[in-house]
Amino acid sequence: MLLKASQLALGYAGVPLINSISFQIEPGEVLAVVGQNGAGKSTLVKTLLDVIPPLHGTLEWPEGKPQSIAYLGQRTEFDRRFPIRVRDLAAMGAWQRLGPFGWLKADDQEMVEAALQRTNIADIADEPLHVLSAGQLQRALFSRAIVQDAPLILLDEPFTAIDQTTESYLLGLIDDWAKQGRAIILVLHDLSTVLQHCTKALLLGNNEALFGLPHEVLSPSNLVEYGYLSEAQVGWIETMYTKREVANQKDMKLEGGAHV
Amino acid sequence: MFEWLDYAFMNRALLATSILSLSVAPVGAFLVLRRLSLAGEAMAHAIVPGIVIAFVVAGLSVYSMIVGGLIAGVSVALFSVLLANKTIIREDASLASMYLLALALGIFILSAAGSAVPLKSFLFGSILGIGDDTLMLIGATAIITLISFAFILRPLIVSTIDPVFYESQLRRPWIVGHLFMFLVVLNLLGAFKALGTLMAVGLMILPATAARYWVSTITSYLILTFAFALMSSWAGLIISFYVPKVPSGPAIVLVAGGLFILSLLFGPQGFRLTSQIRGSSKRSTDKNPETANAALINQKRTKAL
Repeated sequence: MLLKASQLALGYAGVPLINSISFQIEPGEVLAVVGQNGAGKSTLVKTLLDVIPPLHGTLEWPEGKPQSIAYLGQRTEFDRRFPIRVRDLAAMGAWQRLGPFGWLKADDQEMVEAALQRTNIADIADEPLHVLSAGQLQRALFSRAIVQDAPLILLDEPFTAIDQTTESYLLGLIDDWAKQGRAIILVLHDLSTVLQHCTKALLLGNNEALFGLPHEVLSPSNLVEYGYLSEAQVGWIETMYTKREVANQKDMKLEGGAHV
Repeated sequence: MFEWLDYAFMNRALLATSILSLSVAPVGAFLVLRRLSLAGEAMAHAIVPGIVIAFVVAGLSVYSMIVGGLIAGVSVALFSVLLANKTIIREDASLASMYLLALALGIFILSAAGSAVPLKSFLFGSILGIGDDTLMLIGATAIITLISFAFILRPLIVSTIDPVFYESQLRRPWIVGHLFMFLVVLNLLGAFKALGTLMAVGLMILPATAARYWVSTITSYLILTFAFALMSSWAGLIISFYVPKVPSGPAIVLVAGGLFILSLLFGPQGFRLTSQIRGSSKRSTDKNPETANAALINQKRTKAL
Protein backbone atom coordinates (compact mmCIF):
# COMPACT_ATOMS: atom_id res chain seq x y z
CA MET A 1 0.00 0.00 0.00
CA LEU A 2 1.33 3.43 -0.92
CA LEU A 3 -0.77 5.75 1.22
CA LYS A 4 -3.34 5.34 3.97
CA ALA A 5 -5.29 8.32 5.26
CA SER A 6 -7.22 7.85 8.50
CA GLN A 7 -9.85 10.18 9.93
CA LEU A 8 -8.38 13.27 8.26
CA ALA A 9 -10.01 16.58 9.13
CA LEU A 10 -9.10 19.34 6.68
CA GLY A 11 -9.51 23.07 6.65
CA TYR A 12 -7.86 26.43 7.09
CA ALA A 13 -7.00 28.05 10.42
CA GLY A 14 -9.03 25.65 12.55
CA VAL A 15 -12.20 25.97 10.46
CA PRO A 16 -12.89 22.45 9.21
CA LEU A 17 -14.03 21.93 5.61
CA ILE A 18 -14.30 18.19 6.01
CA ASN A 19 -14.48 16.16 9.18
CA SER A 20 -13.43 12.64 8.52
CA ILE A 21 -11.73 11.40 5.35
CA SER A 22 -10.35 7.88 5.29
CA PHE A 23 -9.04 6.25 2.14
CA GLN A 24 -6.13 4.25 0.86
CA ILE A 25 -4.35 3.91 -2.45
CA GLU A 26 -2.19 1.14 -3.89
CA PRO A 27 0.41 1.43 -6.65
CA GLY A 28 -1.32 1.20 -10.04
CA GLU A 29 -4.60 2.63 -8.79
CA VAL A 30 -6.38 5.72 -10.03
CA LEU A 31 -8.36 7.46 -7.30
CA ALA A 32 -10.98 10.00 -8.37
CA VAL A 33 -11.82 12.85 -5.99
CA VAL A 34 -15.30 14.17 -6.72
CA GLY A 35 -17.25 16.90 -4.94
CA GLN A 36 -19.05 20.20 -5.25
CA ASN A 37 -17.09 23.49 -5.31
CA GLY A 38 -15.70 24.28 -1.88
CA ALA A 39 -16.04 20.68 -0.71
CA GLY A 40 -12.31 20.54 0.02
CA LYS A 41 -10.91 18.73 -3.04
CA SER A 42 -7.97 21.08 -3.61
CA THR A 43 -7.42 21.33 0.15
CA LEU A 44 -7.09 17.55 0.26
CA VAL A 45 -4.54 17.64 -2.56
CA LYS A 46 -2.52 20.35 -0.83
CA THR A 47 -2.64 18.39 2.42
CA LEU A 48 -1.24 15.32 0.67
CA LEU A 49 1.53 17.56 -0.68
CA ASP A 50 2.38 18.80 2.84
CA VAL A 51 1.51 22.37 1.86
CA ILE A 52 -1.36 22.57 4.37
CA PRO A 53 -1.23 20.52 7.58
CA PRO A 54 -4.30 18.39 8.43
CA LEU A 55 -6.35 19.57 11.44
CA HIS A 56 -6.69 16.01 12.73
CA GLY A 57 -5.99 12.50 11.61
CA THR A 58 -2.98 10.77 10.11
CA LEU A 59 -1.36 10.14 6.75
CA GLU A 60 0.64 6.93 6.67
CA TRP A 61 3.08 5.90 3.96
CA PRO A 62 3.56 2.17 4.61
CA GLU A 63 6.34 1.86 1.98
CA GLY A 64 7.99 5.12 3.06
CA LYS A 65 7.11 8.61 1.87
CA PRO A 66 8.06 8.99 -1.80
CA GLN A 67 11.06 11.22 -2.56
CA SER A 68 8.97 13.12 -5.02
CA ILE A 69 5.23 13.54 -5.61
CA ALA A 70 4.23 14.84 -9.02
CA TYR A 71 1.69 17.65 -8.92
CA LEU A 72 -0.34 19.45 -11.53
CA GLY A 73 -2.41 22.30 -10.11
CA GLN A 74 -5.25 24.42 -11.36
CA ARG A 75 -4.10 26.79 -14.05
CA THR A 76 -5.31 29.92 -12.25
CA GLU A 77 -2.26 29.54 -10.03
CA PHE A 78 0.10 29.42 -12.99
CA ASP A 79 2.05 32.34 -14.54
CA ARG A 80 2.15 32.00 -18.34
CA ARG A 81 4.02 35.23 -18.96
CA PHE A 82 7.24 34.06 -17.38
CA PRO A 83 10.08 34.06 -19.95
CA ILE A 84 10.66 30.34 -20.28
CA ARG A 85 10.26 27.79 -23.09
CA VAL A 86 8.11 24.68 -23.17
CA ARG A 87 11.20 22.46 -23.00
CA ASP A 88 12.40 24.23 -19.83
CA LEU A 89 8.99 23.86 -18.23
CA ALA A 90 9.17 20.11 -18.81
CA ALA A 91 12.72 20.05 -17.43
CA MET A 92 11.43 21.71 -14.26
CA GLY A 93 10.22 18.21 -13.34
CA ALA A 94 13.86 17.23 -12.77
CA TRP A 95 14.54 20.28 -10.62
CA GLN A 96 14.24 18.48 -7.30
CA ARG A 97 16.84 15.91 -8.35
CA LEU A 98 19.25 18.59 -9.60
CA GLY A 99 19.40 20.99 -6.64
CA PRO A 100 20.48 24.61 -7.08
CA PHE A 101 23.56 23.99 -9.24
CA GLY A 102 23.27 20.65 -11.05
CA TRP A 103 22.99 20.63 -14.83
CA LEU A 104 20.64 18.35 -16.76
CA LYS A 105 22.56 15.16 -17.49
CA ALA A 106 22.26 13.32 -20.77
CA ASP A 107 19.64 10.87 -19.46
CA ASP A 108 17.60 13.74 -17.94
CA GLN A 109 17.64 15.45 -21.32
CA GLU A 110 16.55 12.25 -23.03
CA MET A 111 13.75 11.99 -20.50
CA VAL A 112 12.60 15.55 -21.26
CA GLU A 113 12.63 14.88 -25.01
CA ALA A 114 10.75 11.61 -24.53
CA ALA A 115 8.16 13.37 -22.35
CA LEU A 116 7.65 16.05 -25.02
CA GLN A 117 7.20 13.29 -27.61
CA ARG A 118 4.79 11.36 -25.41
CA THR A 119 2.59 14.41 -24.89
CA ASN A 120 2.86 15.21 -28.60
CA ILE A 121 4.32 18.72 -28.23
CA ALA A 122 7.89 18.16 -29.46
CA ASP A 123 7.17 20.54 -32.35
CA ILE A 124 6.49 23.48 -30.02
CA ALA A 125 9.31 22.71 -27.54
CA ASP A 126 11.03 26.05 -28.20
CA GLU A 127 7.93 28.24 -27.94
CA PRO A 128 7.41 30.60 -24.99
CA LEU A 129 4.47 29.78 -22.73
CA HIS A 130 2.31 32.81 -23.51
CA VAL A 131 1.59 31.65 -27.07
CA LEU A 132 0.30 28.20 -26.05
CA SER A 133 -3.35 27.21 -26.13
CA ALA A 134 -4.91 25.83 -22.95
CA GLY A 135 -4.55 22.29 -24.29
CA GLN A 136 -0.91 22.76 -25.29
CA LEU A 137 -0.07 24.21 -21.88
CA GLN A 138 -1.71 21.26 -20.18
CA ARG A 139 0.28 18.85 -22.36
CA ALA A 140 3.45 20.71 -21.33
CA LEU A 141 2.52 20.37 -17.65
CA PHE A 142 1.86 16.66 -18.15
CA SER A 143 5.32 16.34 -19.69
CA ARG A 144 6.73 17.96 -16.55
CA ALA A 145 4.89 15.35 -14.48
CA ILE A 146 6.43 12.60 -16.65
CA VAL A 147 9.91 14.02 -16.01
CA GLN A 148 9.22 14.06 -12.26
CA ASP A 149 9.08 10.26 -12.48
CA ALA A 150 7.15 10.01 -9.19
CA PRO A 151 5.34 6.99 -7.70
CA LEU A 152 2.38 9.22 -6.77
CA ILE A 153 0.86 11.76 -9.15
CA LEU A 154 -1.70 14.37 -8.04
CA LEU A 155 -3.78 16.07 -10.73
CA ASP A 156 -6.13 18.87 -9.67
CA GLU A 157 -8.87 19.36 -12.29
CA PRO A 158 -6.53 18.73 -15.23
CA PHE A 159 -9.29 18.82 -17.86
CA THR A 160 -10.98 22.12 -17.05
CA ALA A 161 -11.27 24.18 -20.26
CA ILE A 162 -9.52 21.46 -22.28
CA ASP A 163 -10.92 20.14 -25.57
CA GLN A 164 -12.09 16.54 -25.91
CA THR A 165 -9.18 15.43 -28.11
CA THR A 166 -6.58 16.59 -25.62
CA GLU A 167 -8.58 15.20 -22.72
CA SER A 168 -8.80 11.71 -24.16
CA TYR A 169 -5.12 11.86 -25.18
CA LEU A 170 -4.07 12.80 -21.64
CA LEU A 171 -6.40 10.16 -20.15
CA GLY A 172 -4.45 7.61 -22.21
CA LEU A 173 -1.32 8.89 -20.54
CA ILE A 174 -2.92 8.49 -17.10
CA ASP A 175 -3.86 4.89 -17.97
CA ASP A 176 -0.20 4.30 -18.94
CA TRP A 177 0.99 5.69 -15.62
CA ALA A 178 -1.31 3.30 -13.77
CA LYS A 179 0.03 0.38 -15.86
CA GLN A 180 3.58 1.41 -14.87
CA GLY A 181 2.54 0.92 -11.24
CA ARG A 182 2.21 4.59 -10.29
CA ALA A 183 -0.68 5.73 -8.13
CA ILE A 184 -2.73 8.66 -9.44
CA ILE A 185 -5.10 10.90 -7.52
CA LEU A 186 -7.32 12.80 -9.90
CA VAL A 187 -9.70 15.64 -8.98
CA LEU A 188 -12.37 15.95 -11.64
CA HIS A 189 -16.01 16.64 -12.39
CA ASP A 190 -16.81 14.38 -15.32
CA LEU A 191 -18.48 11.30 -13.83
CA SER A 192 -18.30 9.21 -17.01
CA THR A 193 -14.50 9.70 -17.02
CA VAL A 194 -14.39 8.54 -13.41
CA LEU A 195 -16.32 5.38 -14.25
CA GLN A 196 -14.11 4.62 -17.27
CA HIS A 197 -10.63 5.38 -15.93
CA CYS A 198 -10.64 5.27 -12.12
CA THR A 199 -10.36 2.25 -9.86
CA LYS A 200 -11.51 4.03 -6.67
CA ALA A 201 -13.51 7.13 -5.88
CA LEU A 202 -13.66 9.55 -2.99
CA LEU A 203 -16.82 11.66 -2.81
CA LEU A 204 -16.60 14.87 -0.75
CA GLY A 205 -19.48 17.10 0.28
CA ASN A 206 -21.48 18.50 3.19
CA ASN A 207 -18.41 18.15 5.44
CA GLU A 208 -18.26 14.40 4.88
CA ALA A 209 -16.44 11.90 2.70
CA LEU A 210 -17.23 8.52 1.19
CA PHE A 211 -14.61 6.15 -0.24
CA GLY A 212 -14.94 2.98 -2.29
CA LEU A 213 -15.44 1.59 -5.79
CA PRO A 214 -16.51 4.30 -8.26
CA HIS A 215 -19.90 2.86 -9.27
CA GLU A 216 -20.81 2.24 -5.62
CA VAL A 217 -19.63 5.59 -4.24
CA LEU A 218 -21.04 7.62 -7.12
CA SER A 219 -24.51 6.13 -6.97
CA PRO A 220 -27.31 8.56 -7.78
CA SER A 221 -28.54 8.61 -4.17
CA ASN A 222 -25.03 9.30 -2.80
CA LEU A 223 -24.45 12.10 -5.31
CA VAL A 224 -27.62 13.79 -4.13
CA GLU A 225 -26.87 13.19 -0.45
CA TYR A 226 -23.37 14.70 -0.75
CA GLY A 227 -24.70 17.74 -2.57
CA TYR A 228 -23.03 16.97 -5.91
CA LEU A 229 -26.24 16.66 -7.94
CA SER A 230 -29.76 17.90 -7.43
CA GLU A 231 -32.72 15.51 -7.54
CA ALA A 232 -33.62 16.84 -10.97
CA GLN A 233 -30.21 15.91 -12.42
CA VAL A 234 -30.25 12.31 -11.25
CA GLY A 235 -32.25 11.04 -14.22
CA TRP A 236 -29.52 11.13 -16.84
CA ILE A 237 -26.93 9.56 -14.60
CA GLU A 238 -29.24 6.63 -13.89
CA THR A 239 -29.50 6.15 -17.64
CA MET A 240 -25.72 6.26 -17.91
CA TYR A 241 -25.31 3.61 -15.22
CA THR A 242 -27.85 1.31 -16.87
CA LYS A 243 -26.08 1.62 -20.23
CA ARG A 244 -22.78 0.90 -18.55
CA GLU A 245 -24.10 -2.21 -16.87
CA VAL A 246 -25.41 -3.51 -20.18
CA ALA A 247 -22.03 -2.79 -21.78
CA ASN A 248 -20.19 -4.51 -18.93
CA GLN A 249 -22.31 -7.59 -19.22
CA LYS A 250 -21.50 -7.75 -22.93
CA ASP A 251 -17.79 -7.38 -22.14
CA MET A 252 -17.99 -10.16 -19.60
CA LYS A 253 -19.58 -12.47 -22.10
CA LEU A 254 -16.90 -11.62 -24.68
CA GLU A 255 -14.00 -12.04 -22.29
CA GLY A 256 -15.41 -15.17 -20.74
CA GLY A 257 -16.33 -13.57 -17.46
CA ALA A 258 -13.10 -11.65 -16.97
CA HIS A 259 -13.12 -9.08 -14.19
CA VAL A 260 -13.70 -5.53 -15.36
CA MET B 1 35.08 64.48 -25.82
CA PHE B 2 36.09 62.25 -22.92
CA GLU B 3 36.90 65.04 -20.49
CA TRP B 4 34.38 63.61 -18.00
CA LEU B 5 36.87 60.80 -17.43
CA ASP B 6 39.34 63.31 -15.97
CA TYR B 7 37.18 64.03 -12.94
CA ALA B 8 37.55 61.79 -9.90
CA PHE B 9 33.89 62.26 -8.86
CA MET B 10 32.76 61.07 -12.30
CA ASN B 11 34.97 58.00 -12.13
CA ARG B 12 33.59 57.13 -8.71
CA ALA B 13 30.03 57.66 -9.88
CA LEU B 14 30.60 55.48 -12.95
CA LEU B 15 32.13 52.74 -10.82
CA ALA B 16 29.36 52.92 -8.22
CA THR B 17 26.52 52.79 -10.73
CA SER B 18 28.20 49.98 -12.68
CA ILE B 19 28.36 47.81 -9.57
CA LEU B 20 24.88 48.91 -8.59
CA SER B 21 23.56 47.89 -12.03
CA LEU B 22 25.04 44.42 -11.62
CA SER B 23 23.32 44.10 -8.27
CA VAL B 24 19.89 45.63 -8.95
CA ALA B 25 19.40 43.96 -12.37
CA PRO B 26 18.42 40.48 -11.08
CA VAL B 27 16.42 42.00 -8.22
CA GLY B 28 14.51 44.29 -10.60
CA ALA B 29 13.97 41.46 -13.08
CA PHE B 30 12.30 39.31 -10.46
CA LEU B 31 10.31 42.22 -9.03
CA VAL B 32 8.80 42.54 -12.51
CA LEU B 33 8.33 38.79 -13.00
CA ARG B 34 6.79 38.31 -9.55
CA ARG B 35 4.41 41.28 -10.17
CA LEU B 36 5.94 43.22 -7.30
CA SER B 37 7.06 46.32 -9.24
CA LEU B 38 4.71 48.59 -7.32
CA ALA B 39 5.60 46.92 -4.03
CA GLY B 40 9.26 47.74 -4.78
CA GLU B 41 8.34 51.38 -5.38
CA ALA B 42 6.44 51.47 -2.08
CA MET B 43 9.36 49.92 -0.22
CA ALA B 44 11.73 52.58 -1.56
CA HIS B 45 9.64 55.25 0.20
CA ALA B 46 8.91 53.13 3.25
CA ILE B 47 12.58 52.95 4.25
CA VAL B 48 12.83 56.77 4.50
CA PRO B 49 11.67 57.31 8.13
CA GLY B 50 13.97 54.51 9.33
CA ILE B 51 16.93 56.20 7.69
CA VAL B 52 15.96 59.66 8.95
CA ILE B 53 15.42 58.47 12.52
CA ALA B 54 18.75 56.62 12.44
CA PHE B 55 20.48 59.81 11.19
CA VAL B 56 18.90 61.88 13.96
CA VAL B 57 19.64 59.32 16.71
CA ALA B 58 22.98 57.87 15.66
CA GLY B 59 24.39 60.57 13.40
CA LEU B 60 25.24 60.60 9.71
CA SER B 61 26.86 57.37 8.63
CA VAL B 62 26.34 54.57 6.20
CA TYR B 63 25.95 52.13 9.09
CA SER B 64 23.10 54.01 10.74
CA MET B 65 21.49 54.23 7.31
CA ILE B 66 21.75 50.46 6.81
CA VAL B 67 20.35 49.62 10.24
CA GLY B 68 17.53 52.18 10.11
CA GLY B 69 16.64 51.34 6.51
CA LEU B 70 16.62 47.58 7.03
CA ILE B 71 14.46 47.83 10.17
CA ALA B 72 11.96 50.16 8.46
CA GLY B 73 11.89 48.18 5.21
CA VAL B 74 11.39 44.78 6.81
CA SER B 75 8.76 46.03 9.26
CA VAL B 76 6.75 47.78 6.53
CA ALA B 77 6.85 44.59 4.42
CA LEU B 78 5.67 42.44 7.33
CA PHE B 79 3.04 44.94 8.45
CA SER B 80 1.51 45.30 4.99
CA VAL B 81 1.28 41.51 4.64
CA LEU B 82 -0.41 41.44 8.06
CA LEU B 83 -2.89 44.13 6.98
CA ALA B 84 -3.65 42.32 3.74
CA ASN B 85 -4.23 39.02 5.52
CA LYS B 86 -6.12 40.21 8.60
CA THR B 87 -8.21 43.11 7.29
CA ILE B 88 -10.46 43.78 4.31
CA ILE B 89 -7.87 45.97 2.54
CA ARG B 90 -5.75 44.23 -0.08
CA GLU B 91 -2.00 44.21 -0.34
CA ASP B 92 -1.64 47.04 -2.88
CA ALA B 93 -3.81 49.43 -0.88
CA SER B 94 -2.14 48.56 2.42
CA LEU B 95 1.31 49.05 0.87
CA ALA B 96 0.26 52.39 -0.63
CA SER B 97 -1.11 53.58 2.72
CA MET B 98 2.04 52.50 4.53
CA TYR B 99 4.47 54.16 2.15
CA LEU B 100 2.59 57.47 1.99
CA LEU B 101 2.58 57.54 5.77
CA ALA B 102 6.25 56.60 5.91
CA LEU B 103 7.40 59.12 3.30
CA ALA B 104 5.50 61.98 4.95
CA LEU B 105 6.82 60.99 8.36
CA GLY B 106 10.39 60.81 7.06
CA ILE B 107 10.32 64.25 5.47
CA PHE B 108 8.56 65.71 8.53
CA ILE B 109 11.24 64.44 10.92
CA LEU B 110 14.04 65.40 8.54
CA SER B 111 12.79 68.99 8.32
CA ALA B 112 11.90 69.29 12.03
CA ALA B 113 15.25 67.92 13.22
CA GLY B 114 17.12 70.26 10.90
CA SER B 115 19.41 67.51 9.65
CA ALA B 116 22.67 68.29 7.90
CA VAL B 117 21.49 66.29 4.89
CA PRO B 118 19.66 68.50 2.40
CA LEU B 119 16.18 67.31 1.48
CA LYS B 120 17.14 67.33 -2.19
CA SER B 121 19.77 64.62 -1.76
CA PHE B 122 17.18 62.54 0.10
CA LEU B 123 14.75 62.83 -2.78
CA PHE B 124 17.17 62.56 -5.70
CA GLY B 125 20.34 61.03 -4.24
CA SER B 126 23.92 62.21 -4.42
CA ILE B 127 25.74 59.92 -6.81
CA LEU B 128 28.25 62.65 -7.73
CA GLY B 129 29.32 63.10 -4.12
CA ILE B 130 29.76 59.47 -3.30
CA GLY B 131 32.14 58.53 -0.46
CA ASP B 132 34.27 55.48 0.25
CA ASP B 133 31.75 54.12 2.76
CA THR B 134 28.91 54.29 0.23
CA LEU B 135 31.08 52.57 -2.38
CA MET B 136 31.72 49.85 0.19
CA LEU B 137 27.98 49.56 0.86
CA ILE B 138 27.22 49.19 -2.84
CA GLY B 139 30.06 46.67 -3.26
CA ALA B 140 28.93 44.59 -0.30
CA THR B 141 25.31 44.70 -1.50
CA ALA B 142 26.39 43.45 -4.91
CA ILE B 143 28.42 40.59 -3.45
CA ILE B 144 25.61 39.48 -1.12
CA THR B 145 23.02 39.78 -3.90
CA LEU B 146 24.98 37.83 -6.52
CA ILE B 147 25.96 35.03 -4.12
CA SER B 148 22.37 34.75 -2.88
CA PHE B 149 21.06 34.64 -6.43
CA ALA B 150 23.40 31.78 -7.28
CA PHE B 151 21.54 29.75 -4.65
CA ILE B 152 17.98 30.99 -5.06
CA LEU B 153 17.75 31.51 -8.83
CA ARG B 154 16.19 28.13 -9.62
CA PRO B 155 13.77 28.05 -6.67
CA LEU B 156 12.85 31.66 -7.45
CA ILE B 157 12.05 30.75 -11.06
CA VAL B 158 9.95 27.74 -10.08
CA SER B 159 8.08 29.61 -7.33
CA THR B 160 7.30 32.49 -9.68
CA ILE B 161 5.91 30.30 -12.46
CA ASP B 162 4.00 27.80 -10.38
CA PRO B 163 3.81 28.63 -6.64
CA VAL B 164 1.88 25.57 -5.45
CA PHE B 165 4.04 23.16 -7.44
CA TYR B 166 7.04 24.90 -5.88
CA GLU B 167 5.64 24.55 -2.36
CA SER B 168 4.97 20.89 -3.01
CA GLN B 169 8.64 20.32 -3.82
CA LEU B 170 10.41 21.94 -0.87
CA ARG B 171 10.46 21.49 2.86
CA ARG B 172 10.81 25.16 3.81
CA PRO B 173 9.47 27.00 0.79
CA TRP B 174 9.08 30.42 2.45
CA ILE B 175 12.86 30.92 2.84
CA VAL B 176 13.37 31.89 -0.78
CA GLY B 177 10.61 34.54 -0.83
CA HIS B 178 11.83 36.09 2.41
CA LEU B 179 15.44 36.15 1.27
CA PHE B 180 14.34 37.82 -1.96
CA MET B 181 12.47 40.57 -0.08
CA PHE B 182 15.55 41.11 2.09
CA LEU B 183 17.65 41.51 -1.07
CA VAL B 184 15.10 44.02 -2.38
CA VAL B 185 15.46 46.18 0.76
CA LEU B 186 19.26 45.87 0.71
CA ASN B 187 19.48 46.95 -2.92
CA LEU B 188 17.05 49.79 -2.33
CA LEU B 189 19.45 51.13 0.31
CA GLY B 190 22.31 51.13 -2.18
CA ALA B 191 20.13 52.68 -4.85
CA PHE B 192 18.70 55.17 -2.35
CA LYS B 193 22.14 56.60 -1.62
CA ALA B 194 22.85 56.98 -5.33
CA LEU B 195 19.48 58.01 -6.76
CA GLY B 196 17.33 59.12 -3.81
CA THR B 197 14.01 57.82 -2.59
CA LEU B 198 12.06 59.07 -5.60
CA MET B 199 14.33 57.50 -8.23
CA ALA B 200 15.78 54.44 -6.44
CA VAL B 201 13.42 51.97 -8.05
CA GLY B 202 13.96 53.51 -11.49
CA LEU B 203 17.22 51.64 -12.08
CA MET B 204 15.56 48.40 -10.95
CA ILE B 205 12.24 48.42 -12.76
CA LEU B 206 12.73 50.31 -16.03
CA PRO B 207 15.67 48.25 -17.40
CA ALA B 208 13.77 45.10 -16.39
CA THR B 209 10.51 46.10 -18.11
CA ALA B 210 12.40 47.31 -21.19
CA ALA B 211 14.38 44.06 -21.46
CA ARG B 212 11.21 41.96 -21.17
CA TYR B 213 10.09 43.22 -24.61
CA TRP B 214 13.08 41.61 -26.33
CA VAL B 215 13.68 38.18 -24.83
CA SER B 216 11.88 34.96 -24.01
CA THR B 217 14.36 33.06 -21.87
CA ILE B 218 15.31 33.88 -18.32
CA THR B 219 19.09 33.89 -18.87
CA SER B 220 18.97 36.36 -21.73
CA TYR B 221 16.46 38.40 -19.72
CA LEU B 222 18.84 38.80 -16.78
CA ILE B 223 21.77 39.69 -19.04
CA LEU B 224 19.82 42.26 -21.05
CA THR B 225 18.38 43.83 -17.89
CA PHE B 226 21.92 44.34 -16.62
CA ALA B 227 23.04 45.77 -19.96
CA PHE B 228 20.15 48.25 -19.99
CA ALA B 229 20.82 49.30 -16.37
CA LEU B 230 24.50 49.84 -17.19
CA MET B 231 23.74 51.82 -20.35
CA SER B 232 21.26 54.00 -18.46
CA SER B 233 23.74 54.71 -15.67
CA TRP B 234 26.59 55.72 -17.95
CA ALA B 235 24.51 57.70 -20.42
CA GLY B 236 22.63 59.43 -17.59
CA LEU B 237 25.82 60.41 -15.78
CA ILE B 238 27.40 61.80 -18.95
CA ILE B 239 24.26 63.77 -19.82
CA SER B 240 24.14 65.29 -16.34
CA PHE B 241 27.85 66.15 -16.69
CA TYR B 242 27.25 68.19 -19.83
CA VAL B 243 23.83 69.69 -19.11
CA PRO B 244 24.18 72.23 -16.29
CA LYS B 245 21.97 71.95 -13.20
CA VAL B 246 20.53 68.57 -14.16
CA PRO B 247 20.74 66.14 -11.20
CA SER B 248 22.22 62.80 -12.18
CA GLY B 249 19.52 60.59 -10.63
CA PRO B 250 16.66 61.78 -12.83
CA ALA B 251 18.99 61.82 -15.86
CA ILE B 252 19.82 58.12 -15.32
CA VAL B 253 16.17 57.18 -14.88
CA LEU B 254 15.20 59.26 -17.90
CA VAL B 255 17.64 57.32 -20.10
CA ALA B 256 16.20 54.06 -18.71
CA GLY B 257 12.75 55.41 -19.54
CA GLY B 258 13.90 56.17 -23.09
CA LEU B 259 15.16 52.59 -23.46
CA PHE B 260 11.78 51.40 -22.20
CA ILE B 261 9.88 53.41 -24.83
CA LEU B 262 12.22 52.26 -27.63
CA SER B 263 11.78 48.64 -26.50
CA LEU B 264 8.04 49.04 -26.33
CA LEU B 265 8.01 50.31 -29.93
CA PHE B 266 10.58 48.02 -31.49
CA GLY B 267 10.92 44.95 -29.24
CA PRO B 268 9.40 41.75 -30.64
CA GLN B 269 7.16 41.43 -27.59
CA GLY B 270 6.14 45.08 -27.37
CA PHE B 271 3.60 46.73 -29.69
CA ARG B 272 4.90 44.53 -32.51
CA LEU B 273 3.68 41.43 -30.69
CA THR B 274 1.79 39.47 -33.30
CA SER B 275 0.99 36.37 -31.29
CA GLN B 276 -1.88 36.82 -28.92
CA ILE B 277 -1.13 36.61 -25.21
CA ARG B 278 -3.31 33.74 -24.16
CA GLY B 279 -5.08 33.18 -20.93
CA SER B 280 -4.59 36.78 -19.83
CA SER B 281 -8.26 37.39 -19.05
CA LYS B 282 -8.12 34.44 -16.64
CA ARG B 283 -5.83 36.41 -14.41
CA SER B 284 -8.54 38.45 -12.72
CA THR B 285 -10.14 35.28 -11.36
CA ASP B 286 -6.88 34.51 -9.62
CA LYS B 287 -7.50 33.03 -6.18
CA ASN B 288 -4.47 34.42 -4.44
CA PRO B 289 -5.46 37.98 -3.42
CA GLU B 290 -1.88 39.21 -3.69
CA THR B 291 -1.31 38.07 -7.25
CA ALA B 292 -4.90 38.77 -8.24
CA ASN B 293 -4.40 42.37 -7.28
CA ALA B 294 -1.18 42.76 -9.10
CA ALA B 295 -2.74 41.14 -12.14
CA LEU B 296 -5.63 43.55 -12.03
CA ILE B 297 -3.28 46.50 -11.74
CA ASN B 298 -1.20 45.14 -14.60
CA GLN B 299 -4.29 44.78 -16.76
CA LYS B 300 -5.38 48.31 -16.03
CA ARG B 301 -1.92 49.62 -16.77
CA THR B 302 -1.80 47.72 -20.03
CA LYS B 303 -5.13 49.20 -21.01
CA ALA B 304 -3.99 52.69 -20.04
CA LEU B 305 -1.00 52.32 -22.34
